[in-house]
Amino acid sequence: MYEKAFFGRYWPGDSIVHRLDPRTKLLLSVAFMIIVFAAQDWLALGLCAAFTLLLYLISAIPPAQAIRSILPLLFIVIITALLNVLFVQGGQVYFQWGVLCISEAGLIHAAFISVRLVLLLLGVSLLTLTTTNLDITEAFERLLAPLTKMRFPAHELAMMMGIALRFLPQFAFELRTVYRAQVSRGARFTINPFRGGATSLSSLMVPLFASAFRHAETLSAAMEARCYHGSVGRTRLHPLAFAGRDGGAAAAMALMLIAVILANLW
Amino acid sequence: MTNPEMTAQDFVSFDDASFTYDGTSFVFRDLNLRVPQGQFLCLLGGNGSGKSTVAKCINALLTPDSGQVLTFGRSTADPESTYFIRSNAGLVFQNPDDQLVASLVENDVAFGPENLGVPSEELAQRVSNALMRVGLQGYEQRETAALSGGQKQRVAIAGILAMDPALLILDEASAMLDPRGREGLLQLCQELHQAGLTIIMITHFMEEAAQAQRVVVLDEGRIRLDGPPEEVLTHTEELRALSLDVPFAASLSLRLRRQGVTVAPCIHEKELITELTRLAKPERLTKDVEECETLEAIASLETVAEEAEGVLNEAEAPVLLSFQDVSFSYADPAREEQRRKQRAKRRAQREQPSERANWGTDPEALWALRHILLDVHEGEFLGVAGHTGSGKSTLIQLMNRLLTPTEGQVLFRGQDLASKEAVQHVRGAVGLVFQYPEYQLFAATVYDDVAFGPRNQGLDETEVERRVRKALAQVGLDLEAVMRKSPFQLSGGQQRRVALAGVLAMEPQILVLDEPAAGLDPQGREELLDLIRTLHEQGFTCVMVSHAMEDLAKLADRILVLNEGSIFADGIPATVFADQDALHAIGLGVPAAQALALHLRQRGWPLKRMLYDEESLAEDLSRVLQEG
Repeated sequence: MYEKAFFGRYWPGDSIVHRLDPRTKLLLSVAFMIIVFAAQDWLALGLCAAFTLLLYLISAIPPAQAIRSILPLLFIVIITALLNVLFVQGGQVYFQWGVLCISEAGLIHAAFISVRLVLLLLGVSLLTLTTTNLDITEAFERLLAPLTKMRFPAHELAMMMGIALRFLPQFAFELRTVYRAQVSRGARFTINPFRGGATSLSSLMVPLFASAFRHAETLSAAMEARCYHGSVGRTRLHPLAFAGRDGGAAAAMALMLIAVILANLW
Repeated sequence: MTNPEMTAQDFVSFDDASFTYDGTSFVFRDLNLRVPQGQFLCLLGGNGSGKSTVAKCINALLTPDSGQVLTFGRSTADPESTYFIRSNAGLVFQNPDDQLVASLVENDVAFGPENLGVPSEELAQRVSNALMRVGLQGYEQRETAALSGGQKQRVAIAGILAMDPALLILDEASAMLDPRGREGLLQLCQELHQAGLTIIMITHFMEEAAQAQRVVVLDEGRIRLDGPPEEVLTHTEELRALSLDVPFAASLSLRLRRQGVTVAPCIHEKELITELTRLAKPERLTKDVEECETLEAIASLETVAEEAEGVLNEAEAPVLLSFQDVSFSYADPAREEQRRKQRAKRRAQREQPSERANWGTDPEALWALRHILLDVHEGEFLGVAGHTGSGKSTLIQLMNRLLTPTEGQVLFRGQDLASKEAVQHVRGAVGLVFQYPEYQLFAATVYDDVAFGPRNQGLDETEVERRVRKALAQVGLDLEAVMRKSPFQLSGGQQRRVALAGVLAMEPQILVLDEPAAGLDPQGREELLDLIRTLHEQGFTCVMVSHAMEDLAKLADRILVLNEGSIFADGIPATVFADQDALHAIGLGVPAAQALALHLRQRGWPLKRMLYDEESLAEDLSRVLQEG
């Protein structure tokens, strides 16, 4: 129930995309976003779309799952498209009512922006579909590691992210239990959120916070008991290591950038 | 262990150690305790006896305020030794959810050795070895959140074994597990002990203490009893005075002795059976198999009469809740079928082992409940048994329409709960008390928390106050003392009572309790069950879900056994507990007295009652032994 329709859910697999070093994937995702933004016309955008399609094919993600993963965020695309339809004017006018005016340029621009946004979402989603949260966290830590010299707590942040992810399903479960218990005591969360809303909400949030503190207290003791003492001298079960395929992926992305720039100039 | 100097001395020694959290009241004072290498020690004590603090002191999480604690001969106060001690003395905590740090099993098991700086090449090997030792081989890629409580504790132990420790400390590690998980954990500890690990087990379960080599009973930071379990656990008076349980065999053998039977005090059922067989005059026992069967027939005949009486009474009482061929699925059945196929395919791709060891029920089972026919009569006490995942909690959530049946109807006093008007009414009329209800307390004062339900019912403040006062009195709390306090200031047992009062304040007609005594120590447990018994006697219709067959046998008029979403048995305790083998087959047991009686009856003992408790069994046994 709570596990479904989750943007950023991991889709297990063993494709070359799955096996890329998470650092590569993280950096290339950023590069991909820049490239998509750099695409200025339909030809360039078409190239990006083809490239995205190719990536999904290689990673063997079922199309339905790919679409479902971005579904919850499609409203952003729709709102942006609507705004563009209404605010960009030019060319033939199809519909006019007061200040509202739908024109050819507006529709074309809206379509262009929509495709671009969908591609961006698909790009980010591919990262999370093919990379476990843990790997992403570790990639962050390693990429930010140079900053630790400036006292930036990269390891601590990554550890916090990892633990937060670990407790996410736990809290979802606890929230559901507390919700049901309070509903059993006659709490109405849906009928009128304004009347008595504060009490109802606190009847969910206070137990949840209390639980978080309870967990945190034991967890910190449990971590200490297992000799946790920060990143110094710590090894990794699966240390990150770049391989030949990471270079290949970077080269492919560079080619893509050149292609898009050429397409823009065409 | 590689360190030779350690073998020569005690693994743990407390020398006049004292510890205090606040500087005034001591958790323990001048404590002296030595644990030699290779021992399986059980530390017993009620809540507040200081046993968890002792565990943390051994592991150097805490250091004594005076005196010293030596672990492996090194002072826990010496910061140089901290990591040596912690890596060699692993500590498993009570709540399985609080000690796993990673989302995937392998990362969690690797956490400890990673902290020790074990090279990456060796880590994978350690992880798979540790998982194998706890019986979870092939679980590397599982998500920790999706495991059962017992499996989580095994992962926690694997995480410690991966650090290659010499000493394993379990701080009430089984307290939150169901009987099956507890049994598995105890067996695992036995195996690890035989493999050379020194084990310190902190618990209040007697069956666990009986397995140890040595039992130390702690009370208010002092050692009250110390010795082999045969010696310590037969001090029934002292144990009871310290609000601890007494093993069934010990309690029964001492009761028999008081009735003049010269049986030696035993702590294991097996010994007791040997003792009783030794004392029994052969001519009093039936050798004939056929006659044994006749005995069973007589026993069942005698209860048939009782049962008929019970059914008669039941038929007279009006039906409160009625399940009419109810089925429930957590997912849309058609879609779930599709998802199941996908998952099967994905799993095949990942080549995971297909067998689900210790998994209990099939997590992909389509129906949580199937074809449930059930009437709950007014004034009845219905016990619901079944192991984890059998559909118990689904059943009780259907009772106040937290869930609606996928098929069939649930009726409350003849009214279908599916109708909208029925909802608010039934939420008030069916008081549902969840497991660990104290985790749902939220208000600033006890008064406001208990008033939450009545206020939601839209009652005026005078009525709300009347109900709060009544409910707090019903749960036996001192009104004036607790009313203005924050619920978080109260003790665990008191918090649970407040949560119970919060449901009672809605003046329900039927009280539905999910494992009401879970996680309490023996005394708290006893008190809470007494409270429930009193409420039932005051007229509440009760439905109680429990793993503890003893409690169900004691309290319930009727017991419903669920297995994999279907009704497995439904009848008076005597009939349900008559078939021990059938219950064993679905992972449940029968109360200890009944189990012993069934066993003896098979050996020809003329035990004619259908359901035995300790008192009636002692009575019949002494009659058999002393007559003729």
